[in-house]
Amino acid sequence: MDYEAVIGLEIHIQLNSDTKMFCNCPNRPGDEPNKNTCPVCLWFPGAIPQFSGEVLEKAALAALALNCEIQDHTAFDQKVYYYPDLPKGYQLSQFHKPLAKNGWIEINDDEGRPKRIGIRQVHMEEDVARLVHETEGKTPISLVDFNRAGTPLIEIVSEPDIRNSHEAMEYIKVLRSQIRYVGSAECSMEQGTMRVDANISIRPRGSDHFNTKVEVKNMNSIHNVGAAITYEISRQAERLNAGESIVLHTRLWDPDRNVTVAMRGKFEGPCVPDPSVPPIIVSHEWLSDIRSRLPEMPSGKSERFIRQYGLTRDEAVLMSSERDLSEYFEAVAGDAVTPRTAYQWIMTQLNPLLKDYRQTISETVVTPKRLASLLAMLESDVLNAKSAREVLSKLFESDQTPEAIVEQYGFRQVSDSDELEGLVEQVLSDNPQAIDDFKAGNEKALGFLIGQGMRASQGKANPKLMKDMITRKLQE
Amino acid sequence: MITEIFTYIDPEPPVPANGGSLEGITVAVQPTMGVRGWPTEAGSVALERYVALEDATVVDRLRREGATIIGSTRISELGFGLVGDTSARAVSEGAVDVALAMDTMGEARIAAASAHLFGYKPSYGIVSRFGLIGLIPSMECFGMIARTPREISSVLSVMAGKDDHDFSMSDEFPDFESFDAVTVENVKLGVVREAMEFLDQDAYRAFRSSLSYLEKAGMSIREVSLDEYDLFRTIHNVIGSVEASSSAGKYDGVRYGHRAQAVKNWNEMYLKSRGEAFGLPVKAYLFQGAYFQFENYEAFDSACRIRSMLVRLMESLHETVDYLILPMKSGNVPASDMKTIDEIYGLCSHALPANVTGVPVIYMPGGLFGRETDPGFQLLAPRLGDARLLAFAAHLFDQAEGGV
Repeated sequence: MDYEAVIGLEIHIQLNSDTKMFCNCPNRPGDEPNKNTCPVCLWFPGAIPQFSGEVLEKAALAALALNCEIQDHTAFDQKVYYYPDLPKGYQLSQFHKPLAKNGWIEINDDEGRPKRIGIRQVHMEEDVARLVHETEGKTPISLVDFNRAGTPLIEIVSEPDIRNSHEAMEYIKVLRSQIRYVGSAECSMEQGTMRVDANISIRPRGSDHFNTKVEVKNMNSIHNVGAAITYEISRQAERLNAGESIVLHTRLWDPDRNVTVAMRGKFEGPCVPDPSVPPIIVSHEWLSDIRSRLPEMPSGKSERFIRQYGLTRDEAVLMSSERDLSEYFEAVAGDAVTPRTAYQWIMTQLNPLLKDYRQTISETVVTPKRLASLLAMLESDVLNAKSAREVLSKLFESDQTPEAIVEQYGFRQVSDSDELEGLVEQVLSDNPQAIDDFKAGNEKALGFLIGQGMRASQGKANPKLMKDMITRKLQE
Repeated sequence: MITEIFTYIDPEPPVPANGGSLEGITVAVQPTMGVRGWPTEAGSVALERYVALEDATVVDRLRREGATIIGSTRISELGFGLVGDTSARAVSEGAVDVALAMDTMGEARIAAASAHLFGYKPSYGIVSRFGLIGLIPSMECFGMIARTPREISSVLSVMAGKDDHDFSMSDEFPDFESFDAVTVENVKLGVVREAMEFLDQDAYRAFRSSLSYLEKAGMSIREVSLDEYDLFRTIHNVIGSVEASSSAGKYDGVRYGHRAQAVKNWNEMYLKSRGEAFGLPVKAYLFQGAYFQFENYEAFDSACRIRSMLVRLMESLHETVDYLILPMKSGNVPASDMKTIDEIYGLCSHALPANVTGVPVIYMPGGLFGRETDPGFQLLAPRLGDARLLAFAAHLFDQAEGGV
């Protein structure tokens, strides 16, 4: 039978606020264990949670980035369960009155057509502590690190609009890009700041029925999400074809064996309104203030890049995929540097060097201003491309301006024909054979002579001028 | 030092601040109220050896105004019920001027009633709960027991006020400055008819005897009706047990308190630690709460809606009268013998409306007006009406003392 998959994703994203959600402890889970704790996040008796305004802002920005409607009245619930990573028997989350509802993002389906994926809701919840099980030694022990307890998460619940692993991966990429744009989170699956669970069911193609779903967890990369979904769809189809039925349960993705493995029956604890954290009433003024902080989003920006800078669609999408990158690009492309030069140098020259020097586009020592000055010299023929590349790598090692480096190392291009005259004479007199070859109709000999000339100038000669002068001499 | 009344007495209280409004006043707290460095076990094995890390906001405010915190009185487990409670004794035996007593279901008023003292529960949200170890966050607050309404008023005016540690607080606060001169003329009092229906004949007669004094003093008392009066108990029980079940979730023996020994794994550690820690009434109450959480959420949901309705009904009653009157005691069994949930709720039933709806209430002791054996009564004001209520109570007290 021909099946179609019905997939919804639940994505947890760790917000990058300075503090935890209900106390002033630093939001740095990776620090030395139990360093970032206080009576509130350890839930000592008598402590009262204090909901952070910064967390609310970051969560609201993320929800707006996904075209959601922020709810006027939102509140926290207690998700009740007992586990050592949860220091009070319940997790503060939002169930009855989530922060935001009814959003969407647009992706391209596997045939490149635009498709909207609905977002049912975005809600806030606190993360739990980290457990370390030490099983070696005489007595196995479990250790609890509360640094992560109480750090802020948002959970983004999609509508079951996704049909295959391509759409799921596209959805994650677009969602990640939009949330990074508003600066609310880093969204790294590899580093655990973004965790994706997939709810997957299948049905005969053409049916609009929702069948029993299976939840798949433990995918730590976008690639694994795609692989797990593909595997799970075919697993369910095989079961159904074998006459078995699908039961509601949770499975874990095993990245070594590329299979999903049954984990446990799905336990849903009750969600009880929390009496300690007051409800959040969102005022019109507050919401307009947050809205005014929304940056231009990637889809709008890429359209503008095509119009304003003449980039191709692929180039524009690439340049606008990350906010830092797009802002860097716009800061370089200006009066003195053409957009195409800026694009090409960022992609082909700057990016590999950033990797080598382990710098990010937003924090690199090669600021947009420095790169722009360098490229301006290239475009006005002060430098040739080869020298410009050398100056660029020197910019990573020195805090001098590009102009100072050009002067200090003598990278200035020689565009003075008087200066090059002697050099050209010398090259021609040293290479009579090449001249004969050229005159016998061998075009390659011209390239050879130009190369000799450039070498003699230690790479500084204006290559175009060099070519013109040699060609003229040969034709004399 | 440990005595019959105190679980802890401060051996070296800090030198009181000079010039404050509470200079010379002595106060007792309960072991559910944080005083930094003091044992704070809340009467429970679940918190054995727990020492408070921070001062409750209230403690800090009282000390800044010159009060001396003498020590911690005895309390029933986690303040649930009144078995072994010594807060009223601390005042009646002269150990302190004012005893703070956590009031979740009337404890401060009921304890006061046992010792012919004034008992008070402020409006919900005007006193920071930071540092209060409670079970039912939406109902509990710092209650007070004292010999006079003025002492309560002066202590409350210091304790009340915005606190950045407690976001659940009110945005508005009573103005304690502007109610010095209160008269009883033209004051309208309302007594709730359905509450009186719960009283047996003797109790009813005694209650009316207390009220007759008020009428003689020129106040009009009319009967008002609250058909839903019997719901307060059910609503308090359902919501209270659910909140208690969540609040007690943190007593797991992982970070502090009692931890069972010789267990095989964490799950067994949880079960045994909690099993060993809690006494029977608390256990039964937590089970009730877990039942509503896991098995009958609809009942809890309905209770929350009915609670909002009760709040509105109380508000509308207060539009017709200045103060509501409710009896205090029900039955003659001493509080110390109330051990089952039913008995505890039975004892507290008339105290619950103020906790469920968050309004301020003062217990006026028997004997003040009329016979020594009269049971006294409660006066309830609209929310945030604390200053006016206490000024009115102080006025009645002055008149009674003056033998008017």
